[in-house]
Amino acid sequence: MSQRNRWFDWAMALVILVATGFSPAMADDLAPFAGQAGRVAISGGTAHIPVMKEAAKQIMQRYPDIQVTVAGGGSGVGIKQVGEGLVEIGNSGRKPTDEEIAKYGLTMFKWAVDGVGVVVNPKNPVTELTKAQTKAIFAGQIGNWKALGGPDKTINLYTRDEASGTRAVFWKKAIEKGAISSSANVVVSNGAMKSAVAGDPYGIGYVSVGHIDASVTPVALDGVTPTLETVKSGAYPVSRGLYSNTKGEPTGLTRIFIDFLFSPTGQAIAAEKGFVAVK
Amino acid sequence: MTRRLVETGVTIMAWLCGALLTTSVAGLLGYVIVNGAGSLSASLFFGDTAPMDALLLRRQVFDGIFPAMVGTLVLVGLSIIIAVPVGVGAGIYMAEFAGRRIKGIFGLFFDILAGIPSVLVGLFGFSLAVFLHHRLSDRITPCLLISALSLAFLVLPYLIRTTQTALEALPRQIRITAPALGASRLQTLFYVLLPQSLSGIVSGIILSIGRCAEDTAVIMLTGVVATAGIPTSLLANYEALPFFIYTISAQYADQAELMRGYGAAIVLLAICAALFTLAAAIRHRLADHLLYGTR
Amino acid sequence: MSKIAEPWVRRLLGLMAAFSVAVTVLMFGFMVTLGLPLITEGTFFNMFTGPWQPGQGAYGIAPMIVGTAVIAGLGMAVSFPVSLGCAALISVLGRGWLPILLHRLVRFMTGIPTVVYGFAGIFLLVPLVREWAGRGSGLCILSAGLLLAVLIAPTMILFFTDSFATVPRSYLQAADALGASPVQKLIHVFIPCAWPGLVNGVVLAMGRAVGDTLIALMIAGNATAMPGALTEPARTLTAHIALVVAADFDSLEFRTLFACGIILYLCTTLMVVLTRGIGALRERRP
Repeated sequence: MSQRNRWFDWAMALVILVATGFSPAMADDLAPFAGQAGRVAISGGTAHIPVMKEAAKQIMQRYPDIQVTVAGGGSGVGIKQVGEGLVEIGNSGRKPTDEEIAKYGLTMFKWAVDGVGVVVNPKNPVTELTKAQTKAIFAGQIGNWKALGGPDKTINLYTRDEASGTRAVFWKKAIEKGAISSSANVVVSNGAMKSAVAGDPYGIGYVSVGHIDASVTPVALDGVTPTLETVKSGAYPVSRGLYSNTKGEPTGLTRIFIDFLFSPTGQAIAAEKGFVAVK
Repeated sequence: MTRRLVETGVTIMAWLCGALLTTSVAGLLGYVIVNGAGSLSASLFFGDTAPMDALLLRRQVFDGIFPAMVGTLVLVGLSIIIAVPVGVGAGIYMAEFAGRRIKGIFGLFFDILAGIPSVLVGLFGFSLAVFLHHRLSDRITPCLLISALSLAFLVLPYLIRTTQTALEALPRQIRITAPALGASRLQTLFYVLLPQSLSGIVSGIILSIGRCAEDTAVIMLTGVVATAGIPTSLLANYEALPFFIYTISAQYADQAELMRGYGAAIVLLAICAALFTLAAAIRHRLADHLLYGTR
Repeated sequence: MSKIAEPWVRRLLGLMAAFSVAVTVLMFGFMVTLGLPLITEGTFFNMFTGPWQPGQGAYGIAPMIVGTAVIAGLGMAVSFPVSLGCAALISVLGRGWLPILLHRLVRFMTGIPTVVYGFAGIFLLVPLVREWAGRGSGLCILSAGLLLAVLIAPTMILFFTDSFATVPRSYLQAADALGASPVQKLIHVFIPCAWPGLVNGVVLAMGRAVGDTLIALMIAGNATAMPGALTEPARTLTAHIALVVAADFDSLEFRTLFACGIILYLCTTLMVVLTRGIGALRERRP
């Protein structure tokens, strides 16, 4: 190889580095999409949405022939729709049940770990609850913040619908399959839960830990605050995997998309959106 | 004395009702417009993509409402293409050819169709998509085409009614002059009756466009999604303006996204207002609430 | 040429009309067919008694039926007097340009997207109701009912003013000759003469209130409990359909949607038949 060519190679490498923001690992993660065209339809888990949107954005901006569509609905919907072949990838914020896996021949890909945390409005002075208190609140047995050291205001409960994986995990691990009051307001996604509690000074709900930001205050459960760190270390018990499920082994564009989620770039997106990367 | 009291009382109440309605509507719309006015800029539509690149479909837009607007445009266009021939055709049949009994029975069905809540039309579209997915082809899922078809069903009765009303409202002289001069029934219809009632029919079509553009309940059941980019296929999911507003209202991630919601609401309001004004301008004194029986 | 074409054009147009009728029938057919397993599995009647707890296999939609009735009822109760007042102002009592402007505004209101009302409702009305009520989240029957009242007002007002316009001029001239004031004309001439049109407007507005999805979905809180107070959240049949539609479509949970659908469909049919009955009544009158 001539001297001149080697200089050219170095220059190219530098250009690529600059263009991709000095992260050599990221330079190639989108490369497998090159020359691909077609659609990947994604639906289901709403905790996943920020990551899916960001992945879609990066892919579609670089490769306009690829279309990634992202819908919500909840984990139950994602599992069902991928099983029926209505979408290519069905996300779930809980592990699909053995029955679901067998019925649809699902292949699961767990690309991040998340927690489910109780949240209140930042104006609310109550930032710590015991498990027993949490159970009583969501069952509707404690109806006033005063009983918990807060203002003399009724507690406004927010919950998710039955299709939600976040609800399933919260119900199983945080309130130990206790009742959730039917008088609770029902919201349709993790995003909606966060907005609802952020807008209601006397509200309480539960949300994916990755979605917690300054607009809501996480409530410590038995002394452990749900954060990325406590979920990572295992100190916070209400944790779950974020799954992307396909019917059978994924092929073609779907395979490349799943691989992308596990690539350094994909994992970096997951971490940036507040989840614990698996790699 | 009591009479005067009743007089004054009733009059004051009526004025209060007028004031109450006006302030409610002005308050609601004013709130959206005042809060959202600041968000109206190129970046509301195109995010950080260059407008020319977006308009020429060279680059996908993220963080802007351009894909949702294109989605709505394609959706409405498709629905109208499906609905207008059928609706106007059926309307002509009702006004010109149907016998008394057929008119009564069909009219009953069209009234029911007009009154069906839009969410049921959406449920029907969704069930149809699942049915076709199982029976016909794997490729059919809730998608742009299914949504357009469902919306077409939604506005069908309005189109039938406006066409029928516009034709039936024509004076008798017009109806008998052409045949008297030797025109056949079809000639009369195409050269006299339809041109005469065109303004009524067209304003009905425009109001139907507005109805398609603002509907949310039908599309949220039949394939609209939060992120899809510019629609690439009739069998794919898509974005739409009203669903975008609905989604943002429930789950805005940050202040910037909320402002896009306000901006989108203003844009949708402006589109609907423009369509409404256009229809009103060419309307031939057609009672518009006949079109807007039930949503 | 034209003679040969006519039967074909006629058939084609007839086909389009028949197609539109078929769509109406097909919609009902789909709902009945897909909802049928409910009856065969014997859970049909449980739906009207039990609570909605799909986790425990209880698919009661009674709270949603009550929710629909209460929210639509509240909307009507608020909207009817206001609409009657506005219509009276526009047609009878008002003078000058203000009533004309109001009439224009009401017409314009028919074109305002529902989702924009809902959007404004969430950020403007809901916090107001929350502070005013002092309890609850503001996402409640009261907020939804009030917003719905605004949404259905134009339907009523336009029907009212139209039927006021059909009152024979001779009646009004007679009343004028007797020295009647505008209020007396309203009470003794307009309302008695135009009542079938008024009822018609009320029925259609009711249909719209029952059929609206978005306001309830965005504003009413969607709780599945039987509503107990105006400041409590509730779920309507339409919102219920929108919320559950994405669920497992083999499940009984999904099947109950068609029961909701059938109820709404029959409601619509009933209202249409009712308005037609009123129409027939009006035609029979001299």
